Amino acid sequence: MKTIELFKNLRLLTLLFAAMAIVSCSDDDDAPDEENLPEVFTNVTLIFTPEGGGTAITAEAEDPDDAGAADLEVLDDITLAANTTYILTYTILNALDPDDVEDIGEEIEGEDDEHQFFFEFTDGAFTSPTGDGNIGEDNAADPINYLDEDSDEQDGSGNPVGLVTRWTTGAAQNGASFRVNLQHQPLVKTATSTSEDGDTDFDLEFVLNIQ
Amino acid sequence: MKPLLPILLFALFWSSFVLGQNESCAYTVKGMVLDAVTKAPIPYATVRVEGIEKYATTNEDGAFLITGLCSETNTLIIASLGYSQSRQVHRNEQGSLASFYLTEKITGLDEVTVQAEKNKVIGTETVAQITLNKAEISSNPTQSLAASLSKVEGVTFASTGTNVQLPVIHGLSGNRILILNNGLKHGFQNWGTEHAPEIDINAANNITVIKGAAGVRFGPEALSGVVLVEPNPLVLDNPLYGTAGIGYQTNGRGYNANVEIGQGTEKWSYFANGSYTRIGDRKAPDYNLSNTGKEESAFGLGVRHYLNDWDFKIYYSFIDQDLGLLRASFVESSEALIRAYNADVPDFTDPFTYTVREPNHITQHHLAKAEVDWKYSEEGKLNFRAGVQLNKRREFDVRRNEEFPIIDLDLLTYDYQLEWEHPTWKGIDGSIGVQYFEQNNDNNPGTFNVPFIPNYNASRFSAFIIEKIQFGEDTFEVGLRLDTETNDVRGRDNTQAIFRDRYTFTNFTTSLGYQWQLSGNSSFKTNIGSAFRTPNVAELFSFGRHGSRSIFGLLRSGFNDDGTLNTSQVTLLDESSVELERGYKLTNEFRTYNNNNTHVITTYVNYIDNFIFYRPVGVSRGFTGVNPTFYYDQADALFLGLDYTWKKELTNDLSATYGLSYLWSRNTGQDEPLINIAPISTNLELEWDQGEMWIFDSSKWTLRPSYTFEQFQAPRTVPLEDLVDGSTVITPDSEIFDFLDAPNGYFLLDASWDFKWDRFGGSIAAQNLLNTSYRNYLNEFRYFADEPGINLLFTLNYQF
Repeated sequence: MKTIELFKNLRLLTLLFAAMAIVSCSDDDDAPDEENLPEVFTNVTLIFTPEGGGTAITAEAEDPDDAGAADLEVLDDITLAANTTYILTYTILNALDPDDVEDIGEEIEGEDDEHQFFFEFTDGAFTSPTGDGNIGEDNAADPINYLDEDSDEQDGSGNPVGLVTRWTTGAAQNGASFRVNLQHQPLVKTATSTSEDGDTDFDLEFVLNIQ
Repeated sequence: MKPLLPILLFALFWSSFVLGQNESCAYTVKGMVLDAVTKAPIPYATVRVEGIEKYATTNEDGAFLITGLCSETNTLIIASLGYSQSRQVHRNEQGSLASFYLTEKITGLDEVTVQAEKNKVIGTETVAQITLNKAEISSNPTQSLAASLSKVEGVTFASTGTNVQLPVIHGLSGNRILILNNGLKHGFQNWGTEHAPEIDINAANNITVIKGAAGVRFGPEALSGVVLVEPNPLVLDNPLYGTAGIGYQTNGRGYNANVEIGQGTEKWSYFANGSYTRIGDRKAPDYNLSNTGKEESAFGLGVRHYLNDWDFKIYYSFIDQDLGLLRASFVESSEALIRAYNADVPDFTDPFTYTVREPNHITQHHLAKAEVDWKYSEEGKLNFRAGVQLNKRREFDVRRNEEFPIIDLDLLTYDYQLEWEHPTWKGIDGSIGVQYFEQNNDNNPGTFNVPFIPNYNASRFSAFIIEKIQFGEDTFEVGLRLDTETNDVRGRDNTQAIFRDRYTFTNFTTSLGYQWQLSGNSSFKTNIGSAFRTPNVAELFSFGRHGSRSIFGLLRSGFNDDGTLNTSQVTLLDESSVELERGYKLTNEFRTYNNNNTHVITTYVNYIDNFIFYRPVGVSRGFTGVNPTFYYDQADALFLGLDYTWKKELTNDLSATYGLSYLWSRNTGQDEPLINIAPISTNLELEWDQGEMWIFDSSKWTLRPSYTFEQFQAPRTVPLEDLVDGSTVITPDSEIFDFLDAPNGYFLLDASWDFKWDRFGGSIAAQNLLNTSYRNYLNEFRYFADEPGINLLFTLNYQF
């Protein structure tokens, strides 16, 4: 009698075990969905358009090794005419996939409250802005002609972004420098934030020739 | 055949227990007498068997043994000064170590409860281990599981900041330390040090650390040790009880509230508990650690139904965590990374806030378990356990799509365990078990990232046998286990093309142990175990940025002809050179007690063939910026170590405990150091158990200075600058290196005062009392910031 009960109970237990094992065997065979990958900067082109009309002058930087550690590499010098006013704009691309080149400039525009361009240049290279630029913790208030207001690209807080800036060259000189630094400053960007705040999206130094 | 009860060993090194030899009077009662509120052992309590001339006195650990009883059911009269005398019927169950709870007289309740046994898990008796009880856990309700264990010699924790902490036993963590929550392998994303186990320590009744090979009982991941987190034991015949506790800590302005109620009748028992913790940004001595807050809520419940031979238990627990990671650990360019590594004050240091933003980890973990015990005869028992766990993890990075998780995973784990504790056969006791374990990991879409971990289904069938035999007071234990594990993996490579892999491994795990009772005062345990472990999916298939670094698995990293890392290939396991990790661990523990001195010496040798670890390779650019980059590698590793504890009772109420953890490690294949191995540490704990003081029923003071040495066996240093500008080139043949020197050694001082007043208990504790600035070698964020400074912690518990 006792043996029968034991057998019954054992069978019950085995059944329970088997049932739960079957329930859990839900083999699926799915791979993860394809993702829309975020942007990387592979190409940054500075475009100096003469305000008075004429051919735009461009200078490019490119990522030589795609996903490698190397930062963007400057390819061109910037050669501007003396005593001329230029409007500086950019083409910023992710060309990792040649068939699907993305415009990152648009994305920065969309996140203008998180981004700011900072500049540094040889002192006196420009008559406007004067000085040597606003890179560095103590230089944030130094003059740069941000035109975001005019182009509706000033951020929501009225702080500059720098997708459009104005530059007036001074006298001719060769081998000067022009540095452009895009900072990503989520929750950090304020009226007084500097190039030392936030993360560096890119920081490029070009040779500047004024002829 | 008359039942002969096995002697359950239990780490009372000096008790001289005698086994009843009389055939007809071979019953024993073994138990512990504990304070019903604090769960502290009550020494020198008298335990008398009603009606006969048998009695015993509990030792300093509250334990007693009465042998030579002729009846299976005995009525015990338990008395101790200051406690209500209690009369309790004890039914003699095989293998039971009963806990008898005495209630203090001041509470005026003449109650005692019998708790189901809390003895050593079969198969681990000859392995060094230590248990933390409820009182020890609840004195610091805001800390992590790993931190709560770190006072145990030989145990420390590896971390990623202040919120993510994993236990490290004898220098190893991750996939070599098994964390069992409520008897189930904790089913979480166990990769490196980046994830803390999602376990609410406030709900734990006790936590045991097994410091040796326990792979036979628990699986090959338990090669180097096990952390057992046990829930409320669901005591029967226990009147309605409840506890409520609150805590506040100054560093991070953290607060905690927890509550538990329960009740046990003759046939039923239940409990329910819940807790909530919120901590803001922690503070290092010199600056805020921005974005290091956390928020955690948890609840659990359990029900037990007891029917003579059948015993049913079900449990459910849930935890929801939002853990902040130091903001300064995330940068977007190599310049910013170099600056972050060298900064005196980390970037992104903002004023205090409770708000947690990116980078952070949000996880929910559900655990449900059903357990049936069937005592089909006097000596035999069948136990069946079924568990299901759902772990939902979302991780957020600082990036342009930061509102979307960069990692979004659902991990479903099933666990079935059937175990037969067989009747004693020719003096041999043991158990035989079969287990089935299954995991299903799925990526949820919408991360805008190549999946860091692929989708996979893992299934494992296991069978084990553990037997032990007593020779007088000595115990011999032997175990064998077989696991066969199949993994089916589907992922995406760097171009988002689908790859698939499927592999099966069958492994043996063995263990052999012996315990000598050398004399009444001394015992010696030795255990040797081997375990062959299948590399886990993270070790094989990790891909890309995770947290503050990029990391590439064994099958996702190769080297180009020029020695640079190539991560665009996925190699299938069968076509790769990846080998099983084969571990062998020998642990010895010697305990002796003499003249108020207790010495415990644990030594171990752990040799791991094809040890899987990750090592730096350089700096690379990912989608979200530039990261220090690591890849998984295999090496032959040797670990030699010593844990030493010396406790001296200076007076009746004053004691000093000295502790030392020493670990030597080496990559013996290449004859070079390993990376991220625990440094040597030493500490002294002075404890003054004052007893009654002013209005307090008890008062205890603790002072704990400790010193952690610099890791003298750290690998060479290659500065980030040299990697970024290419002046140092790393190839697969390069010696292992680190980005920064190992941090200096540091001295810390902790102090605490514990009290009991009527139904209140509580403590005031100070951590890092001297507000020392230091960095912990085992913290992944040691590159970026100091550890937290002084913290005062206040806790108050009320028992009703």
